[in-house]
Amino acid sequence: MYQYDVIDQQLVDERVHQFKSQVQRRLADELAEEEFRPLRLQNGLYLQRHAYMLRVAIPYGVLSSKQLRMLAQISAQYDRGYGHFTTRQNIQFNWINLEDSPAILADLASVQMHAIQTSGNVVRNITSDPFAGVAHDEEVDPRPICELLRQWSTLHPEFAFLPRKFKIAINGAKEDRAVILAHDVGLQLKKNALGEVTVDIFVGGGMGRTPILGVCIQTDLPWRQLPSYLSAILRVYNRFGRRDNIYKARIKILVKALGPEEFTRQVQAQLLDWKDSSENFVPAEWERVAKHFTAPAYERYTEMDTTALLDLAPANEQKAFARWMSRNTKPHKVPGYINVILSLKPHGTAAPGDASTAQMHTIAQLADDYSFGELRVTHEQNIVLTDVVQTRLFELYQAAKVANLVIPNIGLLTDLIACPGGDFCSLANAKSLPIASAIQERFDNLDYLFDLGDLSLNISGCINSCGHHHVGNIGILGVDKDGSEWYQVTLGGAQGNFASIGKVIGPSFGADQMPQVIADVMDVYVEEREPSELFIDTVNRIGLEPFKKRVYPLKSVVQKGDHHA
Amino acid sequence: MRNLITFPKGGKASQTINDWQVIRPSAEQEGSLLAIPLGRVILPFGWWLSEQSAQASSQPRSETLAQLFTPAFAKRMERGEIGIWFGVDDDVQQHAELIQASAAQWAIIAIDFPIFRDGRGFSTAAILRQRFQWERELRAIGDVLVDQLSQMARVGFDAFELREDQSITQGLAQFSLYHVHLQNDWRSQRSQLGALP
Repeated sequence: MYQYDVIDQQLVDERVHQFKSQVQRRLADELAEEEFRPLRLQNGLYLQRHAYMLRVAIPYGVLSSKQLRMLAQISAQYDRGYGHFTTRQNIQFNWINLEDSPAILADLASVQMHAIQTSGNVVRNITSDPFAGVAHDEEVDPRPICELLRQWSTLHPEFAFLPRKFKIAINGAKEDRAVILAHDVGLQLKKNALGEVTVDIFVGGGMGRTPILGVCIQTDLPWRQLPSYLSAILRVYNRFGRRDNIYKARIKILVKALGPEEFTRQVQAQLLDWKDSSENFVPAEWERVAKHFTAPAYERYTEMDTTALLDLAPANEQKAFARWMSRNTKPHKVPGYINVILSLKPHGTAAPGDASTAQMHTIAQLADDYSFGELRVTHEQNIVLTDVVQTRLFELYQAAKVANLVIPNIGLLTDLIACPGGDFCSLANAKSLPIASAIQERFDNLDYLFDLGDLSLNISGCINSCGHHHVGNIGILGVDKDGSEWYQVTLGGAQGNFASIGKVIGPSFGADQMPQVIADVMDVYVEEREPSELFIDTVNRIGLEPFKKRVYPLKSVVQKGDHHA
Repeated sequence: MRNLITFPKGGKASQTINDWQVIRPSAEQEGSLLAIPLGRVILPFGWWLSEQSAQASSQPRSETLAQLFTPAFAKRMERGEIGIWFGVDDDVQQHAELIQASAAQWAIIAIDFPIFRDGRGFSTAAILRQRFQWERELRAIGDVLVDQLSQMARVGFDAFELREDQSITQGLAQFSLYHVHLQNDWRSQRSQLGALP
């Protein structure tokens, strides 16, 4: 993985120093909260319901065991013994004292980490495919581009006060595992006939109040021109994005208002300022960064088939091990190696994406023992060990099991995505975590979950959509109605190459109704599905009507006409 | 007069005497005569824009703008007493021709920040430096706070009229916070380029 050079390290150290001085001025009341707020947000520090929350960047989801141990130490020393992995490949600590934040940032800097631009109206942490470099369907390893753009976007002076936040996602594989169409800018990396890396650029996707999928405004851009092209997009947005209404300030609203053609014309006009300029990357910069992303020292093994893998386990463990393998491992491009996903979605006992201090230490040790000391964080809030030798798979399974990290539910109903919601977040209209927990408990039956198959359920506690409910096959959105918490359900959302926005099925439900609503939806699916048809395909084939009919007549508490659009 | 810090390209940041007066007509003053004071003044770009179109028809639009037609005003321009300021809604690219034709007569350009977190002025500054090759003083005015100074200096500002409550000492300290930068800017290229083999 990437290692800071002296420039990267100095920048992060100087940022810690700058922030420390800003915190001191705030504590001495020399800096008003209103003016401190954007400064602390630009460094990932939110003021939440109970305390400050610190969001730490895990750039494009890549983490070393050493870094994870530091995160574990921070969770023990400054928080309450856990951290929350987010849908944007960050980690959040929920119980931070403002006074401690400079020391935490200094600790992070000591392991080449930071919280720069994890919040605020700036270019945020860039996200990517958690299987970068090891995916079997990869065309271009996105990590060098991710790292180059991480550096380019870090403390960019022109774009520190954009109209609103700005999220970039990068994918280099055939399957889009970075949800690039749901981002302000999505980059799809490809190779042209000469083997050079080129980029297709999608703009104006996003979730929130107005979910829209991004549109392609440029194909086959040479990778070296990314800084100038992204600067042009950002300059148009910075100058003309709406600043009068926070809900209409994202770039998607500007792209929609201008139309993609006019928006593209304006971007092209800005590009003149940087044509052939040194703003663009030079090949030596690629080399400088890419040398850190070479393959680890793989050994030569023969690929084991499922039967051989199963035989690693004793007979009495084979059923559970087989289940786990079928859901929590993915093929690797190198023979004899396999990708392992550790589930952070226990059924009802912890919030989705939460890892305790002890679990973080265990995961770090697993990474050292089985995966060259490196791991990945997924936007589905789980952890990936990318380079596990197949012969040691059962051994790893046993070691992970001790820390409750082997729930075989990856991609299943209970592998749900949820934001922290009203339990922590001051923006939320409703709680997410109790809903997640209630659904996980209700469906705590592996046979049934396996029978339901691949299916995503995403929960957001408010329309800011941090839980990505719009692109969940089942989406749940918390809404506030006269001071009480209600939940709106959407069906048919999807991420990946066939990304789509879910449709609302009707009036919202009370919290206690939610497990039954999901059970009803599942019943309709099971009754209506064709052999081996996935949930999303059934929804697309039969439409919402059969689901509505089942869900609504039985719900006496539903408020008529209450659609919360 | 507000505290002023200047930080010339390639030079050192220092507190400087502020001898430019920014003319900001309030809403009530629109339409009535607003005498342009003596000394060095920075006028709204909107006045310049109106004056140019009015001169084309030889009809000043208002008594205030009539002052811009006088020989005395032309003399003041020659002496370098006149500058203009851009507001957040002034589209410098839309008026590119006018700005490039007029810029030689302006001694200074200022860019207004109505509120510190409105970042449009950063792009305006970058365009003036990059595209229009403006090389004289570019001054930040309005809600100018010390914590934004280093960013402003990088996009092209070299003078900063601080809001009244801001500390000069803290302001001066801002320009030495960072010794490395990860992007090209008006003052220097990105640090990584210098470190390449």
